[in-house]
Amino acid sequence: MTDTATQPVADTAATGTDDDAAYDVPADATAYTCSYCGRPFARESWLALHRGLAHPNELDDEEVDAFRAAHDEEEESLSTFRLQALGALVLIYFGFLMVYALV
Amino acid sequence: MTSGRRRTVALVVCGLGWLAATGTASAHGGSLAGGGRESLTIPTWLFLSTGGAAVGASFLLASFVTDRAFVERIHDWGRPLSGDYEHVLEYAGQLIGLAGLAAVFVVGFLGPTNARTNLAILLVWVGWWAGLAMTTYLVGNSWATLNPFKTLARLLPTLDRSYPTRVGSWPAVGGLLVLVWLEVVSPLADQPRLLASVVAGYTVLTLAGALVFGPDDWFGYADPVERVFGYYGRFAPIGRDEDGLRLRLPGMDLSTPRLVDGPDEVAFVVALLWVTTYDGLVTTPAWRDLTTPIVAAGVPPHLLYPVALAVGFAGFLGVYRLAVRLSRDMSETYLTPAVLAQRFAPPLVAIAVGYHFAHYLGYFLVLAPSLAVALSSPFADPAVVPTVDLPAWFGAVALASVIVGHLVAIWVAHAAAYDLFPARLQAIRSQYPFIAVMVFYTMTSLWVVSQPEVALPHL
Repeated sequence: MTDTATQPVADTAATGTDDDAAYDVPADATAYTCSYCGRPFARESWLALHRGLAHPNELDDEEVDAFRAAHDEEEESLSTFRLQALGALVLIYFGFLMVYALV
Repeated sequence: MTSGRRRTVALVVCGLGWLAATGTASAHGGSLAGGGRESLTIPTWLFLSTGGAAVGASFLLASFVTDRAFVERIHDWGRPLSGDYEHVLEYAGQLIGLAGLAAVFVVGFLGPTNARTNLAILLVWVGWWAGLAMTTYLVGNSWATLNPFKTLARLLPTLDRSYPTRVGSWPAVGGLLVLVWLEVVSPLADQPRLLASVVAGYTVLTLAGALVFGPDDWFGYADPVERVFGYYGRFAPIGRDEDGLRLRLPGMDLSTPRLVDGPDEVAFVVALLWVTTYDGLVTTPAWRDLTTPIVAAGVPPHLLYPVALAVGFAGFLGVYRLAVRLSRDMSETYLTPAVLAQRFAPPLVAIAVGYHFAHYLGYFLVLAPSLAVALSSPFADPAVVPTVDLPAWFGAVALASVIVGHLVAIWVAHAAAYDLFPARLQAIRSQYPFIAVMVFYTMTSLWVVSQPEVALPHL
């Protein structure tokens, strides 16, 4: 243990085990690896989000900006998802209402 | 949206999910009488798909809660409860546990042979496996203190051999399956002498294990009963952490990282879920109809039951592992399947709890007066023992608890996914395969609970 910064402090949730076997990156896949704890991600925006959530006190300005941008992008896709989920709920509700009326 | 408004919305959404679920159950469960169940007034497929839809819709509702801080606050909420009274409670609990074990031996071997009046039978099945088990998830895991085998083992010397870590909790997985097989196929609930003998065998085995490996390792890894109650206790509102006793919201401790640690513990949680299903499944008419030609073809029934138990367990474990792999693909994560399997296993405990409650609450309430009579005069053999007649609406409680168990599981898995993945949509996507399995499993459970109970066929 030479460098304490590489020890995952807030990210215990991600590593079920302490050894390297917690991650499995396919050979041909691109991975964006966190420089603080070594966790790999498939997308750059996920790495940015992870840095903001798991290492909030260690980031430089550029990383903070990347986190904000990724967060805004995420909010947008979440509102789309909410609409879809609401649509599905309405379908389930009225679908069953009609089935109960018929049966 | 401000965080205050978000919170209100989240609460309303959770409340609606709950109402939707219980409304469904009570509307159609009313026709299920406590003992002899009648047929449903709506077609079974519609009843089952309504239950499945309630679970699916609850997932959609849970996915509206996207405020990480709110999710964490719910799961971290708690109050310390520790105090000096704990030592007194501990001694009292150990004494009660030892007295209970002694009663099972003495009354089991010497008491009346009638199962309905024998204290050993009533104490083990009504008091312990139904009543005490319910208190472990509704209040707190008192078995950790009551466990008379642990109290005895701590009084005995130990060889203190180091427990083989490679074996892990696999003996507990096997032990649980064997115990449930014994419970289902043998007349353990009818013959007090047999029950006392089995308890004696379990005592010898457990004390021998503790003697060789030390009580802490034996009860920590290999003892199935300690483990079942341990997991049930993680659901309870009163739990123990490093600072002592603590009050928390029911079920919310199940999202704690490393609660399930290793493939053996994943297998144990899946086994816990499977045995509760198996227990109900073998007394359905469908099981009788399915197995009648098999037995007629010459397969011995004594082979059929353990094989079905093992095959079902393998099937459950296979489906869970498949769901984990699909979840990994859908969330595009580089975490290994093992990490995901461990993190999403504890929510299954909530489902097992819901199912146990559905199965045993009525049983406990009906027979509790008999237990009280047997406790007050253990060697008397009255011709008539009091029981309670449950009202017709009671079947709804069973159906509601199956669904509430699933709802808690969905919420806990939602929180675990948020903890695990940096992107919230990624977390939601990771749950799709588990929700599909849960919808299917709810429908299976509701079907089993709504079936008339028949005598165990072929035995």
